[in-house]
Amino acid sequence: MKKEARLMQGNEACVEGAIAAGMRFYAGYPITPSTEIAEISAEKLPYVGGKFIQMEDEIAGMAAVIGGSLTGLKSMTATSGPGFSLKQENIGYAAIAEIPCVIVDVQRGGPSTGQPTCPSQGDVMQAKWGTHGDHPVIALTPSSVKETFDLTVRAFNLAEKYRMPVLLMMDEVIGHMREKVELPDPSELEIIDRKRPDCDKDKYIAFKPDEDLVPPMADFGIGYRYHVTGLVHDETGFPSNSTKVADQLIRRLVDKIEMHKHDIIQWEEENTEDAEVIIFSYGCVSRAARTAMKALRDKGVKVGTFRPITIWPFPEERLLELAKKVKTIIVAEMNLGQMVLEVERICNNVTKIDRVNKVSGDIIYPEEIVAKVEEVL
Amino acid sequence: MMTHEIIMAGFGGQGVMAMGKILAEAALREGKNVSWLPSYGPEMRGGTANCNVIVSEDPVGAPIVTEASAALVLNRPSLDKFEKDVLPGGTLIINSSLIDRKATREDIKIYYVPANDIANEIGTGKIANMVMLGAYLAASGAAKEDTVMEVVTEIFSGKKADVIPLNKEALARGAACVK
Repeated sequence: MKKEARLMQGNEACVEGAIAAGMRFYAGYPITPSTEIAEISAEKLPYVGGKFIQMEDEIAGMAAVIGGSLTGLKSMTATSGPGFSLKQENIGYAAIAEIPCVIVDVQRGGPSTGQPTCPSQGDVMQAKWGTHGDHPVIALTPSSVKETFDLTVRAFNLAEKYRMPVLLMMDEVIGHMREKVELPDPSELEIIDRKRPDCDKDKYIAFKPDEDLVPPMADFGIGYRYHVTGLVHDETGFPSNSTKVADQLIRRLVDKIEMHKHDIIQWEEENTEDAEVIIFSYGCVSRAARTAMKALRDKGVKVGTFRPITIWPFPEERLLELAKKVKTIIVAEMNLGQMVLEVERICNNVTKIDRVNKVSGDIIYPEEIVAKVEEVL
Repeated sequence: MMTHEIIMAGFGGQGVMAMGKILAEAALREGKNVSWLPSYGPEMRGGTANCNVIVSEDPVGAPIVTEASAALVLNRPSLDKFEKDVLPGGTLIINSSLIDRKATREDIKIYYVPANDIANEIGTGKIANMVMLGAYLAASGAAKEDTVMEVVTEIFSGKKADVIPLNKEALARGAACVK
């Protein structure tokens, strides 16, 4: 099949990716700058036998996604800052009850209703710590329209493989911008479906993990009976007051991701072999970083770029290796310094760390990154 | 081919976003790499709106335009804001129907296009954006008029097909302003 180049918006690419990955249920409440994800899902899902429902608010949207996934449908919701805050409690529910689902946050300026039409990266720590209690997190950050497609597919795959909510942390620029995209042929995509039980229906123990720490998941309503709760539960799914059960459950949830982190973590680096300075950035800022790097390389400055594609879990091992070789890491992000805290935690005793930050609602310009690199050299 | 980095700006409702999308779509069909980045306030009609379009042989890096090869300004606040962002030797196209001052730059090419007046003569004020786009296409060669019309024809196929010839006329009248 001939690949056709299309002019496509990031939010549209997200829906295309979701449907290609097998999304058949979307519940949510539209909010700028994510609204097109709801609109296009509403338009497209009926054609593939899926269902779209607009709920009364973001909380209900997240709850419905959990319910949809429990019945066996790949489910997604999308929102922006204010809605992401509202969804947090139910994201925790999905984490403890091990419900595969995808939550898209097209980040805008905050806090509160903030700047609805402006880009931001102010929710990246909320992605990690937004819901209470210790829990595993997988969060991915696309930096182009095409990558939004790819990472939406991947978000579903990881959610299904590890039975957990996966966050796709977009930003307003990536959501709204249009660029040339050649979508892959659906037959070329790797699509992962959740493990389902193959035991007799009366022998099913819903939260008994396999060796990979992931329990097989039965679709609700086909005869496998089990209990689902946000309370700490034993392998049957029923609540438990045992400290031992609580310890085992929470540790297993976190270990499930630790065990498979090399499968989950992805990053991209460019010109790091001889770099004296590395520009660390993610999402739309990494495009400015790349432009800045090219301009600096033209002047003979040895600059490389590092871009986490998976921000949680963090690509800590590779960053530390690179940190040992460079004079400075510059962290450019559209917040007052969030991911830089993680970079500092890992690299503080190894190299110098500097920052480029912006919270005006304007994106970071390549020139601003160039100026910072020239300042630190 | 040079890289075209274009700022298009005006009030919400003037069709700034639409003309940017049409240009990006046309350039894409001619095999170029393109990006279209909108910027608008929380309000829509009547608020300020602008978009950045990049047309390039190479993959597009930062989609924001700070040093523009061209700016198309449809209202006075846009001229005030973006005149300085045009690179020396670049192009500034001014909607002189609504903008009551002249440009102050002397190191760029400046075209005054009475886009709203021409649009009203054609029969619909809504088409002023396409007059501006016609002027830009003629000044820059960023995309061919035929490809732009191919895109316009697809957008307005069906019930709105009667506006297709008006668009063609708008592009031609705009182009005539830069010759």
